[in-house]
Amino acid sequence: MLEVRNLHAKVGNTEILRGIDLTVNAGEVHAVMGPNGSGKSTLAHVLAGRESYEVTAGEVIYEGKDLLKMPPEERAREGVFLAFQYPVEIPGVSTTYFLKAGVNAIRKHRGLEEFDAIDFLALIKEKMKLVEMDQSLVNRPLNEGFSGGEKKRNEILQMAVLDPKLAILDETDSGLDIDALRIVANGVDALRSKDRAILLITHYQRLLNYIVPDYVHVMFDGRIVKSGGKALALELEDKGYDWIKAEVELAQPTIA
Amino acid sequence: MRSSNQLHAAVVELIAHDDARIKYSTVQNWYPGDKEGTGGIYNFVTKRGKCLGKNSRISWTQVETGSAITWKYPSCILQGENSVGEFYSVAVTNNYQQADTGTKMIHMGKNTKSTIISKGISAGHGQNTYRGLVKILKGATGARNYSQCDSLLLGEKCGAHTFPYLEVNNSSSQVEHEASTPKIGEDQLFYCKQRGISAEDAVNMIVNGFCKTVLRELPMEFAVEAQKLLGVSLEGSVG
Repeated sequence: MLEVRNLHAKVGNTEILRGIDLTVNAGEVHAVMGPNGSGKSTLAHVLAGRESYEVTAGEVIYEGKDLLKMPPEERAREGVFLAFQYPVEIPGVSTTYFLKAGVNAIRKHRGLEEFDAIDFLALIKEKMKLVEMDQSLVNRPLNEGFSGGEKKRNEILQMAVLDPKLAILDETDSGLDIDALRIVANGVDALRSKDRAILLITHYQRLLNYIVPDYVHVMFDGRIVKSGGKALALELEDKGYDWIKAEVELAQPTIA
Repeated sequence: MRSSNQLHAAVVELIAHDDARIKYSTVQNWYPGDKEGTGGIYNFVTKRGKCLGKNSRISWTQVETGSAITWKYPSCILQGENSVGEFYSVAVTNNYQQADTGTKMIHMGKNTKSTIISKGISAGHGQNTYRGLVKILKGATGARNYSQCDSLLLGEKCGAHTFPYLEVNNSSSQVEHEASTPKIGEDQLFYCKQRGISAEDAVNMIVNGFCKTVLRELPMEFAVEAQKLLGVSLEGSVG
């Protein structure tokens, strides 16, 4: 589904991604871990098409198409979803209204009939159960005055409604207490399917207790330096990131 | 189209007696001139109201999207006890339009109340000014005012200006003023696009959300019209 080859990207003059290779197939859950500043969130935003990042080399093939050529809204309509680490507030616009506009833009793109208000309300109501949200929250202005947990649940609700093929979750577990983490993680886990790939970006292994990944990748300094199964996440939890750094430095001695 | 300017100078006066309520709504889309700022209407309007009777109320609601230059200050003299004055305004300026608008609320009677909600949206080289006066006279014991003036900027070359004058001569009165100037951020636009929404629809949605507290004061048939007008006025303002 997703084939990332030698991807390089920069912000301003700072190169952040320095050669990412990653293959993700439908039905798989991949966790991307790594210390602060290793480029995890940049990878998520580059895949979603954020304009402030400049891709300087490499390619990304998504469902046989050149993903990097598509503007962000087209990527979304083709089934790429990003759950934001910091969801954005839009005053005066309710989640319901916002999400209906999104879902209908996507349906139109796919040649499907747009939902009317009644069909849409039925859909969102059903999906709200997944993240234990109540009606009052989706009628409030989007993310305005939401708690950290409410914002993240709202992101997963949007994922459930938009039904993406590739879901990228950018530190969806950050800033959550144990209960909110359980709700959010169970919601995501329920959305696993053989047609959908999920890329989980996280610092901590605790999320992976709920959503057991098929593959774990460790990013360091703009590259994926180690890949493995779920055991790798436990090893990281145990030993921290320092041994990875040491390993990387051994393999690629820096010029003094 | 027309390269010369035309003048529209209207006068509206309202008087509300005991227990009377007047709601005066305007949606204005006169010719704003072309993209370079040539031509367009000069919309210089006098609108004033007097709450003469007890418990009377005057509400001015306006959506200004057209005209090359708008100068307009619908005002209320709150003379009757317990009378209420309201001003709800959305003004949009794109290209080289200028809107200088606001209200005067003059509190004379006891326990008089006024509310001012002004939303200015500027795009292109557009300039938007809120200019208002809240005056509480000596005899206006227990008078209250709430003012909120928000400006939304779309782009780098537009401007928003706010001149809220307050004159308070009675120590028992309460006057509140809030103001904000957000800019439609890359973050908001990207968030919308990431959900499949086009840039143009996203701007529309953000602007309409910004104006919601005013638009809901309009009669229903106006509100639909006004929402569409906002979209038309801002067409092409964000890449």
